[in-house]
Amino acid sequence: MHAQAVPDVPSEAVPPMLSVRDLRTYYRANRLGIKREVKAVDGISLTVRRGEIYGLAGESGSGKSTLLNCVAGAIRPPMEIVGGDIDFAFLSGYGGLHRAPPAEVARVRWRHLSYIMQGSMNVLNPLRRLRSVFVDFAYPHVGGTRQQFERQLHAHLARLNLDRSVLSAYPHELSGGMRQRATVALATVCRPDLIIADEPTTALDVLVQKEVLGMIRGIQREMGSSVLLVTHDMGVHAHVSDRLGIMYAGHLVEEAGTAEIFRNPLHPYTKHLISSLPRIGDDAPRCGLGGAPPNLADPPLGCRFHPRCPLAMKVCSGEAPAMLETAPGHRVACFAYNQSGGA
Amino acid sequence: MAGAIRDLFRDHAEFRIGAVLVAFVLLLSALASFSPYPPESVYVVPPDVPPSLAYWFGTTSRGQDVFWELSVALRNTLLFGAVVAMISRVIALVIGLLSGYKGGWVDRALMSVNDTFIVIPLLPLLVLFYFVMRDRMSWLALALIMACFGWAYDARLIRSVAMSLKAREFTQTSLFSGMSTREILVQEHLPHVMPVVFSTAMNNMVWSIGLEVTLAVLGFTDVNRPTIGGMIYWANQHAAMVAGVWWWIAFPIAAVTMMFIGLFLLAVTANAYIDPRSRFRTIGGAF
Amino acid sequence: MLRIASYEAADCGDPGSFLRHGGALMSGYFAFLLRRLGQFGLVLFIGINVAYVITHASPIDPVEQSISAVTSFGNTAPDAVEQMRSALRELYGLGATPLDQYRLFWSRILRADFGPSLSAFPTPVSTLIGRALPWTAGLLAVSTIIAWGLGNLLGGLAGYYQKSRTLRLMGVVAIGLHPIPYYILALLLLIVFGYLWPVLPIAGGSAMNLPQSLTMEFVASVLQHAILPALSLILIGVGSWFIGMRSLVSNIVTEDYVVYAELAGVRPWRILSSYVMRNAMAPQLTGLAMSLGGIFNGAVITEKVFGYPGLGSLLVDAVYAGDYGLVLGVTTISIVAVSAGVLAIDLLYPLLDPRVKVN
Repeated sequence: MHAQAVPDVPSEAVPPMLSVRDLRTYYRANRLGIKREVKAVDGISLTVRRGEIYGLAGESGSGKSTLLNCVAGAIRPPMEIVGGDIDFAFLSGYGGLHRAPPAEVARVRWRHLSYIMQGSMNVLNPLRRLRSVFVDFAYPHVGGTRQQFERQLHAHLARLNLDRSVLSAYPHELSGGMRQRATVALATVCRPDLIIADEPTTALDVLVQKEVLGMIRGIQREMGSSVLLVTHDMGVHAHVSDRLGIMYAGHLVEEAGTAEIFRNPLHPYTKHLISSLPRIGDDAPRCGLGGAPPNLADPPLGCRFHPRCPLAMKVCSGEAPAMLETAPGHRVACFAYNQSGGA
Repeated sequence: MAGAIRDLFRDHAEFRIGAVLVAFVLLLSALASFSPYPPESVYVVPPDVPPSLAYWFGTTSRGQDVFWELSVALRNTLLFGAVVAMISRVIALVIGLLSGYKGGWVDRALMSVNDTFIVIPLLPLLVLFYFVMRDRMSWLALALIMACFGWAYDARLIRSVAMSLKAREFTQTSLFSGMSTREILVQEHLPHVMPVVFSTAMNNMVWSIGLEVTLAVLGFTDVNRPTIGGMIYWANQHAAMVAGVWWWIAFPIAAVTMMFIGLFLLAVTANAYIDPRSRFRTIGGAF
Repeated sequence: MLRIASYEAADCGDPGSFLRHGGALMSGYFAFLLRRLGQFGLVLFIGINVAYVITHASPIDPVEQSISAVTSFGNTAPDAVEQMRSALRELYGLGATPLDQYRLFWSRILRADFGPSLSAFPTPVSTLIGRALPWTAGLLAVSTIIAWGLGNLLGGLAGYYQKSRTLRLMGVVAIGLHPIPYYILALLLLIVFGYLWPVLPIAGGSAMNLPQSLTMEFVASVLQHAILPALSLILIGVGSWFIGMRSLVSNIVTEDYVVYAELAGVRPWRILSSYVMRNAMAPQLTGLAMSLGGIFNGAVITEKVFGYPGLGSLLVDAVYAGDYGLVLGVTTISIVAVSAGVLAIDLLYPLLDPRVKVN
């Protein structure tokens, strides 16, 4: 765990790399006259500091990918941002990429904000050599002559321990792990300030996974970039994330330094996530969580976790708990802790 | 099925247009049973009368009432298309399901034959067929030979559905419960491909009728049996356009064009309904 | 019909061996080549066998049938009739065993020797076909390339800019034109440009009075005469490629690699050209190969409507004249020509999709 390796930058001294305030993103469908509204992200606030890897965890359907898409400005109907602001250190005052003028968005993309997507097979154009993809993505931001760019590219690949012959390859000629490493190279070639990584290692086998994570971490440390890393895999978070936010059903339920979360998880859902991680020598039977994640078209009133929660109290079904700090840097949304003087 | 049609009708303007066009053509062809004249006889009404209240679509130079003639021709033409579609559906189903389910060399062999039938230019072969048969050429023989060529595009489509069905769990369950290939295909897979069969049937009718019209116009079918192509053939024989008897050609062309566009729209929207990611091209088109 | 299979790449942990061996690449290409050649052979084999079955399984004696058709036109000298009869009997292999008939049939096709034409006696059928073939090939090649290019371009734009009203209207027109049979559309053009607004030549391949030589005048006349037949082929072709490309593109724009390029801020025209249209080209090329037979059918009938001196007109006139050798010759040559065209298009496929080389 690397959480302590990060200098604890006072959060107000410099503006954070990314700050999300009260973001609400709904999927609105109007099918056959019946309006459906799925509240995929419902009032999330978080900040990503400079030079840190901020991890977002939660099961599929918890809204973490939706949140990423909002940050990346990839908003297509029926997805709709109905409220909240997203500000970047390199682009503020608009409240998000989706509201910024196209010229600003074009300036920011890849130069300041890049993206590592899940499933590297399909994110690279199957009919384009990697060199062309690097040129398409990065050359407009880097400028100079093509020879200069090529040299820069070689240097960048060398830094990442990649052979320059990948540039002449088509995606199908590379193994899955090699493709994902090439994608990491692609996402970091412009030395962006913020890298969004969506399940970057999910489809890979364990050895390659470790290598790719190490690569992301190494280049991030070297460039001082921030990373917003989304994965359901708590093991990955334990390995690379500096701070961790836990999402459940469109809400952020807990946030703290990674070490703190693993040492002292507060929210019952977080406890469940951590306890379901396998540990060597631990033979205790895993107890599954009863029930299923709620239907976000019609979420339960109050705390969304209460129907599955072993600690559920009367108040939990009545009102939603707020995110409150229990210790410096450790926030949790649960009535079992310090809510309105409780706990 | 009824629910699907209702959804399509409400959500797709193309489906509404297609349905109205096809319904109109069907209505017109249904009237054929009430024709006051025997369909194959000539000189039953005064020739070359322009459209009027007495003769809605005018009369031909052969003394036929264009309205009633058209009605019978539409019925015969639709029947032809339906027969070709039905026979070729059977072939397409057998080949497609077998190929998709069996996979391996069976699939490769069947698909090679399939691609061959897609590629071979059919019109010259049909012309050769007519050349050999001449007066013994019957519409059923033509329908049969066209059905033997008209299955290939759709067999590929059915194959791809069958391949995805094969990967589904229930196929494995059926296999382990001891069902034979034939039983699995007929009882488990057939119901799932029926929607594709219906949508391709309409495209196939567009194709076969288009080809039949073409052959008939050239006189390479039994032109004494009233069909749309046959009407145009006789109109050409009597130089109807030059003689100013435009209604003899205009009404059959209008009717058959309505039929084509209507069937095509139904097929396209039905296809989009079955599989939103489907590609229209995979089900062929005119010719 | 799409040949894009998913290529599951084995994940080899060793970073040094990420490129597949060069040898495998080469043999992948040869395997592809062999498959296409095999398919070409199969098309010829099945097509020509169908022609054999049609001609030899019929209950009618094609020789007497043809003779009576030819002589019904009036005074043919009895000598010539006998000559024709013997030529026909030889062509058909009458009196030989079925096996010999079959062998004879193939040997004639392989030598492209269909005997003398009855309707243009004694000109050999192969000469007539050789004269007509360039007209059809030219008309077909030019109109198909224009239709395919234009249809793909417009359809691609329509799939990418789905909100454009102009492109939507084009879609409506394309859907309306696509299912109309070639004959009907050709006839409509003939009526419009022949009777209502006679500005274009509606018959022939060039002006009658011009010698067939490479003069400006002749070339201009050929082009002018080709406008209407080509237009009717193009109008229908554009419609079908438009519809196909539009639906392909509207699927491709949701692919991860397009979304990724958009998130990377790759310029829109670059995304449209290199990520969207480019990736739709390969399936559309396969589509072209697969519909070549149908397009050829269309050309046959279009030529007849406009009296264009190609294979189509030759075939139809041969039927009217009862010329068995010519009908058989045109039919078999058509099958050979179309499958050769399909093979040629198929061989272009690896240029558009490098994945073919990996099997």
